[in-house]
Amino acid sequence: MIKVEHLSKRFGDVTVLRDVSVEMNRGEVISIIGPSGTGKSTFLRCLNLLERPSGGSIQIDGVDILDRKADVPRLRQKMNMVFQSFNLFAHLSVLDNLTLGPVRLRGMGRQEAEAKSLDLLRLVGLAEKAASFPDELSGGQKQRVAIARCLAMDPEIILLDEPTSALDPTTVSEVLAVIRRLARDGMTMAIVTHEMDFARDVSNRVLYMDEGVIYEEGTPQEIFDHPKREKTRAFINRVRSFTRRIGSPDYDLYAMNAEIEAFCEKHILPRKTRQNLLLLVEEVLQVYAPYLQTGVLDLTISYSEKTDDLDLAWESAGEPANPLDSDRLPDDFGLMIIRNLTESIEYRRLDDRNRLSLRLRQDRGA
Amino acid sequence: MEFQARREAAAVVVALVGRLDAVTAPVYETRMHELIDGGDVRVVIDFERLDYISSAGLRGLLVTAKQLKAKGGQLRFANIQGGVRAVFDMSGFGSMFQLDESVASALTALS
Repeated sequence: MIKVEHLSKRFGDVTVLRDVSVEMNRGEVISIIGPSGTGKSTFLRCLNLLERPSGGSIQIDGVDILDRKADVPRLRQKMNMVFQSFNLFAHLSVLDNLTLGPVRLRGMGRQEAEAKSLDLLRLVGLAEKAASFPDELSGGQKQRVAIARCLAMDPEIILLDEPTSALDPTTVSEVLAVIRRLARDGMTMAIVTHEMDFARDVSNRVLYMDEGVIYEEGTPQEIFDHPKREKTRAFINRVRSFTRRIGSPDYDLYAMNAEIEAFCEKHILPRKTRQNLLLLVEEVLQVYAPYLQTGVLDLTISYSEKTDDLDLAWESAGEPANPLDSDRLPDDFGLMIIRNLTESIEYRRLDDRNRLSLRLRQDRGA
Repeated sequence: MEFQARREAAAVVVALVGRLDAVTAPVYETRMHELIDGGDVRVVIDFERLDYISSAGLRGLLVTAKQLKAKGGQLRFANIQGGVRAVFDMSGFGSMFQLDESVASALTALS
């Protein structure tokens, strides 16, 4: 149905989409997820030619819509869009918002357009608001009207750009319910969303966008339960990180402690977790003391807001060697403390560097 | 870390306050070494106001124990609790020393 190849989009010197290729088939519901500013909305706007792509091709049913000879208005009608901020006409009633497109652009008779619009308003549960004006509606109601208006043009595919992100949390579910119903009825949709549970339930396929490309794609189970790539995993598990380079044996332990405490405070970690994390950091630094005479050490502390896991990754250069090999240590005190404070310890040689990964043990009973 | 020493009849009581870690352990070792060199060979260390200890602190305590043993002295630890207690337990350090519930009981044991 839609075939996108090597799509790119630049705004001046800024490249938002680098190289996007994807196919969308009839009846599919595709969720597009990813961090802010990675080109998700720009991608949708390029599909609908609200933004002119800088390169690549977009074919709809075999017709390249970027071709100068393409009948863009007709192609655009096949693909209608729902915006984050509704974009309803404030001076028109709800019914007139719906009839405007079919009457003006498709030449439909007013009576027929009104009858059809009322049917669509019934579909989204808002027939009684037909005579109201947008300002008289809640955010959720406005978005449902916007979806009905989109359907009034009989699109073959609907593009939804963060349809719930401008809504009061109490009205999000009513809009999601309408979109779920459309999905059940077989409507082809591409949805940019931050509602992960919704994306998991409603989609056949999930695209994770990052760095201006489709970084990973798969079924909802593949993306949400078993993401393969590191950035996808970090996004899905809502991982927040703290990084610090330690380049000398005379590092300032207290300054680093203060930064780690601030990181813990920001993520509201329990007091005991903070204390254990600080102790673990100091113990591992003690282990690396001989190495720090000549080498540089990179510490990354990662906290998953989804799973509560706190992971520490220590990367160092030099010959392959597990820094926790007990024959390298002056005594067992530090090692025993490290073992007691951690759920798991893993040493790996990665890209010619030594990587020691530790997961902090936490009391998860509370 | 604060290092507060006071002499009692049976021993010198050293109260450690704050943190005994990689930064403060060398300071602790110097002060304790001076004390032992000055002839105080019966020592009670009071941990009541010590909030934090790491293996660097444990090594400092071990140095003290070795210095006192070499001089035929005695060492007891009192008021080990909270996070410090946890580190003593998880490192196995606690099983190597006499731990007393209070300074008074440590002094009684030494008198």
